[in-house]
Amino acid sequence: MSQLIEQITTGVIEGNIQGVSELVQKALDEGLEPEAILQSGLIIGMNEVGRRFKVAQMYIPEVLRSAKTMHAGQEFLRPLIAGGKAGRVGKIVIGTVQGDLHDIGKNLVGMMCEGAGFEVIDLGFDLAPEKFTEAIKAHQPDLVGMSALLTTTMRVMGHTLKAIEEAGLRDKVKVMVGGAPVDAEFADRIGADGYGHNAVSGAELARKLVNAA
Amino acid sequence: MRANYRINSGVRFEVLSRDQLEELFNGVLHVMDKIGLDVHHDEARDILSKAGARVEGNRVRMAPHIVKKALATAPRSFTIYARDGNPAHDIHIGPGRAHFGPGPTPPNFIDVETLERRPYVKNDARIVATVVDALPNIDFCESLGTISDVHTDLAAAYEFATMFPKTSKPIVAWSYGWDDSSDIHKIALAAAGGQEAFEKRPNYVHYCEPLSPLVSTFDAVDKVIFAARHAVPVIFTTCALAGGTAPVTPAGIIIQTTAESFMGLVLSQIIRPGLPFFMGGVLSVMDMSAMILTYGAPELCLMMAGATELAHYCGLPLWQTGGCTDSKCLDEQASLEGSLSVFFSALSAGDLCHDVGYTESGMTGSILQTVMMDDAIGYARRITRGIEVNEDTLAVDVIQDVGPDGHYLYHDHTMRYFKTEYWYPALCDRHNFDEWVADGRKPMRDRVVDRTREILATHEPAPLRPETAEAISAIMEAAEDRVRNKT
Repeated sequence: MSQLIEQITTGVIEGNIQGVSELVQKALDEGLEPEAILQSGLIIGMNEVGRRFKVAQMYIPEVLRSAKTMHAGQEFLRPLIAGGKAGRVGKIVIGTVQGDLHDIGKNLVGMMCEGAGFEVIDLGFDLAPEKFTEAIKAHQPDLVGMSALLTTTMRVMGHTLKAIEEAGLRDKVKVMVGGAPVDAEFADRIGADGYGHNAVSGAELARKLVNAA
Repeated sequence: MRANYRINSGVRFEVLSRDQLEELFNGVLHVMDKIGLDVHHDEARDILSKAGARVEGNRVRMAPHIVKKALATAPRSFTIYARDGNPAHDIHIGPGRAHFGPGPTPPNFIDVETLERRPYVKNDARIVATVVDALPNIDFCESLGTISDVHTDLAAAYEFATMFPKTSKPIVAWSYGWDDSSDIHKIALAAAGGQEAFEKRPNYVHYCEPLSPLVSTFDAVDKVIFAARHAVPVIFTTCALAGGTAPVTPAGIIIQTTAESFMGLVLSQIIRPGLPFFMGGVLSVMDMSAMILTYGAPELCLMMAGATELAHYCGLPLWQTGGCTDSKCLDEQASLEGSLSVFFSALSAGDLCHDVGYTESGMTGSILQTVMMDDAIGYARRITRGIEVNEDTLAVDVIQDVGPDGHYLYHDHTMRYFKTEYWYPALCDRHNFDEWVADGRKPMRDRVVDRTREILATHEPAPLRPETAEAISAIMEAAEDRVRNKT
């Protein structure tokens, strides 16, 4: 049995999306507990991925593939784990702000957050401030993530934060921001709770903000 | 009289063969015909559709003959003129001519006095233009930043209004949209003497940046339409990241970015056949650890050289990239990355090479980097000028004249050539050790800072006519009125 778990861990590290789902099925067939598969297999694998990235033994494309693999395995297990929580650490709404069509960085953050155990609701791009406030009301997330690539649109993050405040929702969510021209100082200036300089640090920040790190 | 005698004027350098270029070109045509691009602009899709493009929703596809028609009308050679009529500041675009200048819009700037990184402010545009005007190897001007201390909507207009009086070298302007494009154009017209005079002697270039992969955004397209309607030479360039927003292979990213640029080409040539158009874009790799667009990667030099060759194969000038670095300060890395990319750019003779002075992967502009690169460009230009071979330069008679055990030091032949055959650096130190010690043991970076400050203290750019200066004030006052109540 431990051999199967080890293979699942290795599968996550190697980013073997199809293989891990099959291994998870096999483990279930052999009577392993879903919670054990999740905790000792998938999560251990993803933790190792995080460690290797930090010491430059893994690159971003590999990390993303692992996150995708992790997420696939997790989704497979979700219906089988009591309460349906299955390692979920929180819910995050993400989107690219109004005027900006750049959404690749935001998508990567979403993938990494899924890999880190979040339920991710991706609103898309070119989002007016009220799209964010509506989504907060509808989905009641723990976190909101905003993205912008352009120096011309990053200011809309400030407008969006203001709209969240004006809707009386600011104390219901933590807000994180990211995107190439954004930095920690900017995040601070507009009153966000945090800034991630890339997808991996974004997911780490998300876990910290919900006290799951 | 000679027959069948070939001369290499300059240094030969070639990355791709004609066969390989043809394959890349066919790849571009395939992308435009079969895959298509999303164009987020109703009027643009309408214009393209009337010219024969196939439009489905936002997606625009076009047959090769439509692209080739645009290539046939876009010029390979033309001139961008100095605003003050100084012929030394005109830019003649054409084969074998590489021109250099800074880049647009980083949020930060290295302060010339404190040498610290801080947000870019309006006065920095004055500094950059003044230094650009003085540097012998910098040919056009961009600001190296986005002005943070004016109304956000007017950052681009103030940038142009601030730089224009301080350099007569042509400016490459960016803008947010139609309104500030219009402000900028009015300023240029004030100096040129009206639209008709401007069309004869265009004195600036407009820069538009669509999105990778394969999206022509509303603003980028709107600006191309503005430029075409007002006869402003135009650049349409994406900034693609190999492995992120474009294929990881150099051939793949060149195909994609060329297709992206060609959408602007086709649109501009439909509206105004013959409008000078620069093909983009900025091609580099996404660093897979740091997740940044690297400005110091060898792949940037190589892919830009390949893109240059494809542009020239298609009969277009290219918007080149070089003199930039991922380094955070004026150090050995900045010098190494900047110099090598400048040299590659000079070799490939890409037509306008921008981003000279980009540091920290495009996050911080540094005029100090530009000043250091001015020397690197001089160095590169001397090499690319090549070896001239004729009766006089062969110097066999001079060798006979001097003979064994003589010297050439004040020979007529030496006197005739030593100033033009040699390039003399402004910054690279060639003194002996004692002289260097006596001069304060200054490393390169200190000499760069000294030269920059000296230029700022002494250089007087050609002044504007008083009526042009008044017109600029009036244009900016009107612009302030326009945005007064906007947040």
